[in-house]
Amino acid sequence: MKANRPALAALRAAVNGVDLNRFRFWVQLASFAFFLYGGYAAVNLGSHLPLFACVYNRVGTAGAGAGVCYLMPLQLQLARPWNTLFTGASLFILTGLGIFMLWFLALNKAWCGFVCPLGTIQDWLTALRRFVRIRYSVYTQSQFDWLKKIKYLLLALAVLIPLGIGNGYITRELRAPICQICPGRVLLPLFSGDYSHWNIDFTSTTTVVMTALGVLITGLFLVGAFVKKRFYCFFCPMSAFLFLLSKPALLRLKKDGSKCTRCGDCYRVCDMQIKAIADDVVTADIMADDCTLCLKCVAACPETGALKVKYAGLTIFEATETGFIKRCQKEHCRANASR
Amino acid sequence: MPTLPAEPTHAVTQPFSRSRQAREAEETLTHLVNDFDDNPESMDYFYDLFRRVFCQGESLEREGVLVGTTCIHAPEELIYALGATPVRLCNGSYHYDQIGAEFMPAKSCPLVKATLGLLQDPHAVPRVGKLDLIVNPTTCDQKKKSGALMTALGHTVYDLEVPPSKDTEHSRVYWQRSVRALTERLCQLTGRRLTRRNLRAAMARTSRAQAAFRVLHEHRRAAPSLVLGKDVFLVTNAFFFDDIDRWTAAVERLNAEIAGRAAAGFQAAQTKAPRILFTGSPPIFPNLKLPLLIEQSGGVVVADETCSANRMLYDMTAVDEWHLPDMVDSLADKYLKPCTCPTFTNNEDRRRRLLDLARTFQVDGVVYQVFAGCQVYEMEQKSVADTLQRAGFPMLAIETDYSPDDLGQLTTRIEAFLESLKARKRHRPT
Repeated sequence: MKANRPALAALRAAVNGVDLNRFRFWVQLASFAFFLYGGYAAVNLGSHLPLFACVYNRVGTAGAGAGVCYLMPLQLQLARPWNTLFTGASLFILTGLGIFMLWFLALNKAWCGFVCPLGTIQDWLTALRRFVRIRYSVYTQSQFDWLKKIKYLLLALAVLIPLGIGNGYITRELRAPICQICPGRVLLPLFSGDYSHWNIDFTSTTTVVMTALGVLITGLFLVGAFVKKRFYCFFCPMSAFLFLLSKPALLRLKKDGSKCTRCGDCYRVCDMQIKAIADDVVTADIMADDCTLCLKCVAACPETGALKVKYAGLTIFEATETGFIKRCQKEHCRANASR
Repeated sequence: MPTLPAEPTHAVTQPFSRSRQAREAEETLTHLVNDFDDNPESMDYFYDLFRRVFCQGESLEREGVLVGTTCIHAPEELIYALGATPVRLCNGSYHYDQIGAEFMPAKSCPLVKATLGLLQDPHAVPRVGKLDLIVNPTTCDQKKKSGALMTALGHTVYDLEVPPSKDTEHSRVYWQRSVRALTERLCQLTGRRLTRRNLRAAMARTSRAQAAFRVLHEHRRAAPSLVLGKDVFLVTNAFFFDDIDRWTAAVERLNAEIAGRAAAGFQAAQTKAPRILFTGSPPIFPNLKLPLLIEQSGGVVVADETCSANRMLYDMTAVDEWHLPDMVDSLADKYLKPCTCPTFTNNEDRRRRLLDLARTFQVDGVVYQVFAGCQVYEMEQKSVADTLQRAGFPMLAIETDYSPDDLGQLTTRIEAFLESLKARKRHRPT
């Protein structure tokens, strides 16, 4: 096939030799602008998006961004009284979930690695740290194994607390609890000039606790992301949710274990410290629950065909020796230029 | 800082070229060059290099601090970055093997004996000058224990602690600490500071050398073969002592010539020549007898999994953030994680690597060299043979040493093995 279509082969080689980090930087920047300011151009992709495009990011009554995160509607919908929740009247909850799934399936967790504004902010904080030449910190393996469970706990709370509200067990002040403690609520409205979320709401004990938690977590988010790459993504309930739904997604990260030398280059560059990407030579669907599909591992892999990105079965980007060496030499050239 | 003594090249009584050791090198080179037609022209650089260094005893002008290394685990980038030069001490000379045997246990492996034999010689060949430090990675027991012998011979030895396993996260952390400690020792030795800039420059040099090696490695995939294994082993052996930039340039020239030959439809071996994957104890000049025998008998070594070639040069470093700690840790990872050395507890990676090479290089059979006395390679032999056999690749295990005494016997065995591979090939349905 390749021989018949030299143009296709050339295109493949060009894609596989891409400077992925630079490409990702521009995609992230564009997505950031789009999902924070798209509303100004009257773009509205609805409120079922699998990323932290915050509903509180508003101008007047309209959203400032091009769409809204699904976690808010989900939590509100689940908080319906139980006698209506399990009837046909709640069909719209399933419809909402379906729409959310459609968005999600298109990009899988690349929403996290390429699109999510909170992810992008963390990467910018990382860039800032790199610029001032401070070293990142890492978790030890045991810390990591323990911490990665938190996001499932948060996801469970995102479902259980609204259900409790619907049943009358829990105060309505805990509506959309995850949004209340989400750093997206505090940070993202800042970009459209709204500083009002940087405060503590003294209406009641619950609001004090929740808004204080929100500000505290935002502080942790900023500090954490500065010292630890993608700090918040370890705890992100959306990340857990997406992973649970990811089986039928179209964009997939594949590994051919027979070509892997376990050199660990992929693990080395992984922001999420996923060891299995290097060590697991059995699983073909190698995307782990923490994975953000940033694809840095594919770019850092020197073994042709060992890691592949497929879209609906079609390979769109794969690790190649020449691509690796090209990126490597570019790095070294850049170093020489910066001397 | 210690400087090189102005040592006259002919400090020994008789001309070097008439010594036993020069004759041994000459013998290997003669076969390597003259027994084959159509050697690539750009191989002349390497033939000439070995002739000058090993047969004429020419000294290699070296500047700065000299750091001997006894295993590929010692990160050369760190040594280069600090303005020092690594000298790989693993030795293949029967002459030194015999000298080593005089004071080493009889059952030690010839490589370790030859290395120690070399180290007791004040006028050792290759003539690189007096070593300022020997970095001795604690890999196999023999190398581990020979550190003390080296000290007794008057060398300054630094034991670089290598973990016994590489699969766990704590072995990785342990090794990263070892490498950082080595960095400190090297800084102390050279009186220089490791900086982002000098390490980056050193990594660029090594990475360019590795990229060149990988191109050469890729050329070996071609069937019929474009280049012979004996030449590739000589090339990677030159990496032990040659100036790294000069070496890289020479390999790039060789690659260009091979690419040209490929375009012209050249073949270096017969179409039906059995394609051999070489593994086990490393062939080191002048002991290239086994790869040479294979190719003299009509086979062609198309790939290898040895620490004097593939394992030393193949795996490349990836760095996420170009600041010093991350760069050093990345280097540490590169020297540990992909390494298929049999001294590690688990040999799964080695078996997987061999299978991958056997499949992707269209190999007909595997030759497994074990140096007499090398326990780790001996112990892995069965599991490797089983894995390969199950995948349909016959393996010939050969126990040998540096002496030429078993040449006749080896020739018979190699020829028989190659014949059986040819017969298999004929009968294999296509």
